[in-house]
Amino acid sequence: MSSSSTALRDLQRDLENKANDLSKLQKDIAKSHQVRKKYTIQLGENELVLKELDLLNEDANVYKLIGPVLVKQDLAEANANVRKRIEYISAELKRLDSSLQDLEEKQHSKREAILKVQQRIQSLQAGKAKA
Amino acid sequence: MASSRGGGSQQVIRSGDMEKMSLDQLKAVKEQADIEVNLLQDSLNNIRTATGRLENASAALHDLSLRPQGKKMLVPLTASLYVPGTLDDADKVLVDIGTGYFVEKTMAEGKDYCERKINLLKSNFDQLIEVASKKKTLADEAGLILQAKLKQSSPSS
Repeated sequence: MSSSSTALRDLQRDLENKANDLSKLQKDIAKSHQVRKKYTIQLGENELVLKELDLLNEDANVYKLIGPVLVKQDLAEANANVRKRIEYISAELKRLDSSLQDLEEKQHSKREAILKVQQRIQSLQAGKAKA
Repeated sequence: MASSRGGGSQQVIRSGDMEKMSLDQLKAVKEQADIEVNLLQDSLNNIRTATGRLENASAALHDLSLRPQGKKMLVPLTASLYVPGTLDDADKVLVDIGTGYFVEKTMAEGKDYCERKINLLKSNFDQLIEVASKKKTLADEAGLILQAKLKQSSPSS
C-alpha cells in the first residue's frame, strides 16, 4: 500500500518536471520563431535593395546612412555589402531552421513521455481505488 | 450554401471534413483560422499604409517637378519653425531604398521608382487579399458548424 503511494508520488514529481521541461521548450520555440520572422523580414528588405542596386547605372551616386550622416559609397562596394549581408542572413535562417526542427522534435518526444507518465499514474490510481 | 460560389470545391471538402470533427477539434480549427485571418488583416493594413506613403512621395515629387529653379520657399526645420530658402535643383532627388542605403536619382527615375514600388505592393496586396478571403470563409464556416454542433449537443446533455 505505502509502496504504491510512494511510487505514485515519484511519478507525479516526474510528471511535474517533464511539464516544466515542456513549457521551457515551448518558450524556446516561440522565441526562435520570433527571431526567424525578424530575419525573414530583413532578408526581404535586403533583397529589395539588391534588386534596386542592380538596376542602377554604374556612375550612380550611392550613399550609406551611418548614424545621422550620409556617406558616399562605391556602387560596387554597396553591392558587395548587401550581397554579403544576404548571405549571412540566409545562413542564419538555415541555422535557425535546423535548431527549430530539433526543438520541435524534442517537444514531440516530451509530449509523448508526459502522456506515458499520465497513463501510468491513472492505472496506479485505478488499482488503488479497487484495493 | 455560400461555399458554392467561386473556387469552392476545396472549401466543400474542408467543410465536409469539419462536419466529422469533434467539438474540441473544431474549436481548435476555428481558433487557428481566426488567428490567421487577423494576421493577414494586419499585413493588408501594413501594405495599405505603405502604398499610401509611396503615393504621397510620388505626389510630392510631381509637385516639386512643377516648381521652377530659384523658386522661393519656406523650409521646415522643425514642426513649427520655417526658414526661407530657394529651390536649387529639382532634378536630382535622393531615394531611400532601404537598410540605410540612399541613391541619387533624377526626377524621372524617382517617379519611376515610386511607381514600381506601388505596383509591387498592389500585386502583393491582390495576392494577399485572395488568401485572406479564403481563410475568412473557412473561419466563418468553422464557426457556423461549431455553433450548429453546440446547439445539437446542448439539449441532449
